[in-house]
Amino acid sequence: MRENQRVSDSVRRALPGFLAAAGAVALLGFEIADKGWAFFFQITLNGITLGAVYALIALGYTMIYGILKLLNFAHGDVYMVGAFIGYGVLTSLGGPLNPSVPVWLLIVLMFGAAMLGSGLLGVAIERFAYRPLRAAPRIAPLISALGVSFFLQNSALLLFGASYRSYDPFSLLGFGGAHFGSSVFISWIRIGVVIGAIALMLALIFLVGRTQVGKAMRAVSFDREAAAMMGIDVDRVIAATFFIGSALAGAAGVMFGLVFSQIFHFMGFLAGLKGFTAAVVGGIGSIPGAMLGGLIVGLVEQYAQGYLNGNWSDLFVFAILIVFMLVRPNGLLGTRAITKV
Amino acid sequence: MLKRVSLIASVAAFAALAIVVSAVAGPTSAAAKTVTCGSTRTIGVAAPITGAAASLGSQQLGWAQFYVTGWNKSHKTKYKIVQGDTQLPNAAEAIKVAQRFGSNSKILVVVGPAGSQEIQDTTAALRNAGLAFISGSATRTSLTDGSRKGYFFRVVPNDDQQAPAVANYITANLKSDHVFIIDDQESYSQGLADGVQKLLDAKNVKTTRDSVSQTASDFSSLIAKIPSSTKVIYIPWQLSAKAQLFGQQLKGAGKNIPLFGSDGLFDPDNFTIAGSYDSFFPVNVTSATIKAYASAHGGKPDYFGVPSYVAAQVAVNAVEKACKTGKGKTTRTAVRKAVASTKLTATLLGIPVSFTANGDVSGGGFSIYKIGSDGEYSKVG
Repeated sequence: MRENQRVSDSVRRALPGFLAAAGAVALLGFEIADKGWAFFFQITLNGITLGAVYALIALGYTMIYGILKLLNFAHGDVYMVGAFIGYGVLTSLGGPLNPSVPVWLLIVLMFGAAMLGSGLLGVAIERFAYRPLRAAPRIAPLISALGVSFFLQNSALLLFGASYRSYDPFSLLGFGGAHFGSSVFISWIRIGVVIGAIALMLALIFLVGRTQVGKAMRAVSFDREAAAMMGIDVDRVIAATFFIGSALAGAAGVMFGLVFSQIFHFMGFLAGLKGFTAAVVGGIGSIPGAMLGGLIVGLVEQYAQGYLNGNWSDLFVFAILIVFMLVRPNGLLGTRAITKV
Repeated sequence: MLKRVSLIASVAAFAALAIVVSAVAGPTSAAAKTVTCGSTRTIGVAAPITGAAASLGSQQLGWAQFYVTGWNKSHKTKYKIVQGDTQLPNAAEAIKVAQRFGSNSKILVVVGPAGSQEIQDTTAALRNAGLAFISGSATRTSLTDGSRKGYFFRVVPNDDQQAPAVANYITANLKSDHVFIIDDQESYSQGLADGVQKLLDAKNVKTTRDSVSQTASDFSSLIAKIPSSTKVIYIPWQLSAKAQLFGQQLKGAGKNIPLFGSDGLFDPDNFTIAGSYDSFFPVNVTSATIKAYASAHGGKPDYFGVPSYVAAQVAVNAVEKACKTGKGKTTRTAVRKAVASTKLTATLLGIPVSFTANGDVSGGGFSIYKIGSDGEYSKVG
């Protein structure tokens, strides 16, 4: 009887999510029948590119939450700073029209500088804005994170001005790409970004799963006091986590600039919220979850924009955040915390 | 118990009295309060200096400051600008700016706000303070329906004038039978898009409508939706850099469809997609004033801000007139009347500026420009 009760409870909990998913699939099927498969493939490819960028942002959120149980709302602005660092390297090495080094080297340098700069920024933010508040109530570092976010936005506005800056990837890398049939096209830039994002994600999985640093990070995320007692330098591990998460955000910033061209001081706000949504959808604290969540958010945004119109895309993205919080708060791949009572 | 009740009653009565006094004292007295003009006079400039539309607001502020700086160099009376950052589309900030301007008795007239929605949001505060507000960019037609008569003025023609100019050119000159219209979800853009779509529909031109957020950078799915039968894509947007990006992504997707922009996109520095069209005021882009501004601002002419220069011109001249009539003293009411009676025969916009009873600029018009392969804008209509 107890078993039956458990089964019916599970079914009742899963039912709203199942119905929502079934509805979404049915709607998508209807739209595919209306607009055709070519259009579906095109916007799926668009969604995968965008999702790759969101996944990199979400990874930073999820890593920091996993280790500190802190939602780092300044993370989106670290991504913005990374984009500007990449832009700075681009313009100081001749710009997109006339680079003074080979294009491949220029891109490597842009990524390297952005990841290093963003990583160091993340470490500095942790040291000065969060570490002093570790023993404070949870709301305190959250408020501090919001303050850091506004600080970074307005600092960028002061330093770089309000105008959009353009990576002009079309001058740098051209308009070439791969065609599938007569109406499906993906540019080489987008292919490169997706491959780069996957490579970074795999590198992160390797780091966390197979290295000493990764082991220490997992230990600290599991039980900070116990990890300290085992001789792990907790402060250093947390700093390393911030460095890695922020470096990934910096890389995402450069990728955004290369694919979508324009960067500006306010770009981190919405991207950060969508990265956060991706982390929640995938399961906050889960690295594979962040990747899956990023992909889902990117696809939802593109499907909404493609099949409805631009008014609906952000609405749908944040609607799935609400739906997941209500129906599956642990996300798709997150695990329920077991608390000793 | 009785003491507590009578204390509460006294406080409530006092509060009610204070509300009544401030209601009576507020609007009428602010407008009628006499101010000594002095040798330095103050105007307010309300623009989105920070936030999502900061790139537009900085142009408007820059041009307004340019006018005032030029005036101060050549006249005995000096003008000072008090800036108000409206953070478009943040309505709460726009209202705060309006209230702050209203309570600053030195401010005699306001240049701005920028957005049509901001005008709607700030009307009550500015009107209650008795201030005239002159916008260089709010073009929604309904703003001059008479409800702001004597308070709101604009130096730019409204959407009812721009939309016919665009629709006529598309049908008569481009002979397009299918137009894809994309607005940027802001009231300026939606108003124009609605106007043009209505006119094109009346001429039996097939129109498809879509929208994209002003902050979007990924237009790939939107571009995928544009059918190959489309002859013109109409984009009445405000951010020229976005239009440029859209044009590049459109080309990157292999679709060579001409773009048609609105006055917000007139930006030879940032919007240079060859073969595109744009509607704008008949500005003389080679004028010495524009060259001087560009020279002082890193080579950028910031065309979006040119109407704010003219708005500042109207504001300063109105204050001068009101102060002269009042023999060194004036009121906001007098300044408003001076604004209403403005008659500038030649302005940087290429149109004379005087106002109708409801605040629209009389006799304004739009020209059509085409962007050449070298990025140069040439007038074609």
